[in-house]
Amino acid sequence: MPDVGRATLLVTLGLSLYATGAGAWAARAGRRRLADSAGNALLTALGTSAIAAGVLLVALVRHDFSFTYVADHTSTRLPTGYTISAFWGGQEGSLLLWLLVLSGYSAAAVLLNRRRAPDIAAWSVPVLGGVMTFFALLLVVVASPFATQAPPAEGAGLNPSLQNPYMLAHPPLLYLGYVGLTIPFAFAMGALLAKRTDERWIVATRRWTLVAWTALGIGQLLGSHWAYVEVGWGGFYAWDPVENAALMPWIAATAFLHSVMIQEKRGMLRIWNVLLVVLAFSLSLFGTFLTRSGVVNSIHSFTQSSIGPWFLGFICLVVAFSLALVFARLPLLRSRTRLESLVSREAAFLYNNLLLVAFCLTVLWGVAFPMLSELVRGESRTLGQPYYNFFLRAFGLPLLLLMGIGPLIAWRRASARALSRTFLWPAGVALATGAALVAAGAGSSMPGLVAYTFAAFVMASIVLEFVRGTRAAGSVMTLVGRNRRRYGGYVVHAAIVLLAIGVAGSAYDTTAEGRLRPGQTLETGAWTATYRSLSQERAANALELRARVDLFRDGKPAGTIFPGKNRYFAEAQTSNEMAIHTDWLRAEDVDVIADQINTDGSIYFRVVVKPLVNLIWVAGLVFLLGSLVAMWPDAREQRRLAARYALASA
Amino acid sequence: MTTALVVAAALAVAAVLLVAAPFLREPRDGDDVLDRRDALDERRLELSEERDRALLALRELEFDHRTGKISDDDYRVLVGEYRRRAAAALRALEPKAARREKVDVQH
Amino acid sequence: MARRGNPARLVIALSVAAVLAVFLLYTSIAGGGTPSLKPSELRGHTGRVSLTGVVTGPVSGDGRNAPLHFRLRDIGGTKAVPVVYEGSRPDLFKRGRDIVLSGELRNGTFVGVPGTLVTKCPSKYAPKKSSSV
Repeated sequence: MPDVGRATLLVTLGLSLYATGAGAWAARAGRRRLADSAGNALLTALGTSAIAAGVLLVALVRHDFSFTYVADHTSTRLPTGYTISAFWGGQEGSLLLWLLVLSGYSAAAVLLNRRRAPDIAAWSVPVLGGVMTFFALLLVVVASPFATQAPPAEGAGLNPSLQNPYMLAHPPLLYLGYVGLTIPFAFAMGALLAKRTDERWIVATRRWTLVAWTALGIGQLLGSHWAYVEVGWGGFYAWDPVENAALMPWIAATAFLHSVMIQEKRGMLRIWNVLLVVLAFSLSLFGTFLTRSGVVNSIHSFTQSSIGPWFLGFICLVVAFSLALVFARLPLLRSRTRLESLVSREAAFLYNNLLLVAFCLTVLWGVAFPMLSELVRGESRTLGQPYYNFFLRAFGLPLLLLMGIGPLIAWRRASARALSRTFLWPAGVALATGAALVAAGAGSSMPGLVAYTFAAFVMASIVLEFVRGTRAAGSVMTLVGRNRRRYGGYVVHAAIVLLAIGVAGSAYDTTAEGRLRPGQTLETGAWTATYRSLSQERAANALELRARVDLFRDGKPAGTIFPGKNRYFAEAQTSNEMAIHTDWLRAEDVDVIADQINTDGSIYFRVVVKPLVNLIWVAGLVFLLGSLVAMWPDAREQRRLAARYALASA
Repeated sequence: MTTALVVAAALAVAAVLLVAAPFLREPRDGDDVLDRRDALDERRLELSEERDRALLALRELEFDHRTGKISDDDYRVLVGEYRRRAAAALRALEPKAARREKVDVQH
Repeated sequence: MARRGNPARLVIALSVAAVLAVFLLYTSIAGGGTPSLKPSELRGHTGRVSLTGVVTGPVSGDGRNAPLHFRLRDIGGTKAVPVVYEGSRPDLFKRGRDIVLSGELRNGTFVGVPGTLVTKCPSKYAPKKSSSV
C-alpha cells in the first residue's frame, strides 16, 4: 500500500513537470495539441493526487501503524472523525492536502478556461504546473507521508487540544483559502506572459478569488473561535506568527478585491493589481512556510524541520520571476487614465488599498522582526501585543471610517454639496451613538469609543444605501439581483462592522480570579459565580473533571456551567475545558476557567466577562452571506462578458 | 508488493495515455495553432472594454443621481459627457467590416 | 494625451512617507520590542525579557498555593537558570517541555510575570497554546 502511495506521488511529480515544461513550450510556440496535452497532465494529476490521498486516508482509518505517519498521529482509541483529521494534523499529510487542493483548483481552472481564453490558459498551465511540481517534489523527496516502519502496538495519538470539531473544519478551510490564491496568481502571470493587458484574467478568476478569500476568512474566524473556546485564556487572537500567517494573505486579497474594481471601472491600477496578487500569493506561501519551518518563536510551531529552506527558496523564486515579468511588461501595463479627483470613489478605494497594504506590511514587519533583529543585532527581539494593537488602531479605524464614506461618494468626482447631504444622516446617527455611549460609560476606552462611533456611521451609511437603492430599483430583490457584487459587498461591510464592534468590546473586559472552596463566590461587573461541587467522569479516552458553577446576573439566577479539565490516557496530557455562558440578548460572554484543581477540592477560578464578543461570531455568518451574494452568478453579466470575449475571427 | 507494482504501472500507463490523448487524433480544423490574438483582436477587445466601461459609468451615474449621491446640477453637467463617451465607444466598434480596413493600430 | 502627472502617484508617495514616519515615531517612543533570549544569554540583561527554554531540575510548587520553582535550560544546551513563577501552572507544564516566559533576572533567579508562562506542545506542526494566569 505505501508503495502505491509513493508511486502515485512520483507520477504526480512527473505530470507536473510535464505540465510545466510542455505547457511553456506549447504556449510559446502556439501549439494547440501540446497545450491541451499539458492541460490534460494537470487534470490527470488531480486523479493521481486523489489516489495518493486515498491511500493515506485508508491507512488512517484502518489504523495501519506500519505507516510512520499514521502511528505518529493517531491511536486505536481515537474517535474516527479525529482519525480522519489527522490527515492534516502533521507535516507530510498537510503537504499532501495542499497538493490535492491545488490539483483540484488547477484542474477546474484549466477545464473552464482552455476554450474560453486559450492564450491565457495556455500560459497559466505551466505556472500552475510549476507550483504543483514544488509540492510534489517536497512530498517525494523531503517529507513523504508514506514512510514505513515496523508497526508498533499503539500509535502516539492526536494531541488532545486538536480533538475537537474545529480540527475537522479549520485546517481544510484555510487550505482552500491559501491554495485558492494560486489561481488568480497563475492567471495574472498567464496574462502577462501572453502579453495581454486587458482584464480578462481578472474576469476569469474573480469568483475563485472570492471563494479563496471567503474560505480564508471563515477559516481564521473558526481558528479564533477555537482558540477562544478551547485554550482557556479568554482571548481569541494573540498576534502569534502562525495566526498572522493567515491574516496577511487575507488582507492582501481584500485589497486586491477592491482594487480590481477600479481597473474594471476606469482601467487604472493595472500594475498595482498584478503586484497585489503576487503579494497575496507570496504571503500565502510565506504563511505556509512560517507554520512549518520553526523559524519563528511561536507557540504553534517549534520543530526545526528541513522543509524551511525549500519553502524560502521557492518563495524567492516566485517573487523574482513575478517581478521580472512585471518589469518586462511594464510599458504594456501603463494605464492611460488618471485619477480625476482626490475626493471620489476611486480615491476612496485607493486610500482603502493603501491602508490595507500598510497594515499588512506592519504585520509582516512584526512577524519578521525577531529574525531581522537577530541578524542585525545578534539578539532576537519580539514585538508584542502593544505594537500590533497600536497599528491596528492607526490603520483599522480610518479603514472603518472609509467603509462608510466610500459608498456615499460618487465615481470620478464628488461635489461638496452632494457629499454634505448624503453624509448628514449617517454622521448624525454616529454622533448620537457616540454621545449615548459616553453617557453609558464607554468613555473608559478612547479607541473603543471611536470604533463604536465609526461603526454606527458605517452601519447607517449601509442602511441608507439599501433604503435609497430599494426606492430607486423597486424592491430589494431587484436591487440585489442587478448589483450582486455591490450589495453583497455591503453585507460583507456590515459583517466587518460587527466584527469591529465585537473586537472593540474586548477593551471593556472585566476579570475576577481567586481560589474557591465549594460555596464561595467571585464577582465581576454585574455577574456573580458560585462554586458548588466537583465531579469526575470516565470518557472513551479521557478522565473528565468538572466543577459545577452557578451564575447570577444582578442577583438573578442566570444558569449553571461546568468548567474543568480532561486528563487523556494515551497521551498522558491534561487539557483545559473552559466553560462559557452566553447572554445572547447582550451578546456578552461569561467565561469561567478552572485554572488549577487542587487535591483538597478547592479550585483556582478565573471569571472573565467579555461584552459584545459574540458579535464576532455573528459577523462570520453575515460575512458568509455577503460573500455568497457577491459571488452568485449573474446571467446578464455572463452574457455581456461572453459577447465581449468572443473571438473576432469567429 | 506485486499488486503495488501492477497498480503503479497501470497508473503510469493511464497517465501517459491521458496526456498523449490530444496527439492520438487529427487536429481540429486541420491546424495545430493555438488561438492567438492579432492586433485587430487586441484593438477590438480594448474598444469593447471601453464601451462596457462607458455604458456602466452611464448606468451608475443614473443610479447615483436617483439615490441622491449626485446633485441635479452635477448630473446635468456629467450626463452629456458620459453619453457622448458611450456613443463614441459604440461607434468605434462598428461596423466591423469597415473597421477591418480602416483601423490603424496605433499604440 | 497631456500628462499633467497622476495625482494617484502623489497620494501613494505621500502615504508611504506618512506610514514610514508613523513607524519611526512609534519605534523611537515605544522601543524596539522585547529581547527573546535563551538562559545562556540571560546574564547581564536587566529589564523585562522573554525567556525560552526546556524545563529541568527539581520542580516544586503549583504556582497558586506555593510559587512554582524550576530550572530552565537552553534548548539543546546545558546552561540553566533557576526560575520562580507565581501564577497557574499550565496543564502541559512538565519536565522536558519547551516553554516561553516573560520576566526579569533578579539576584540570579529569573522571576516570571504572572500570566506569561506559555507551554509549547510537543507534537510537531500542531497548533496548541496553553497559557494560564
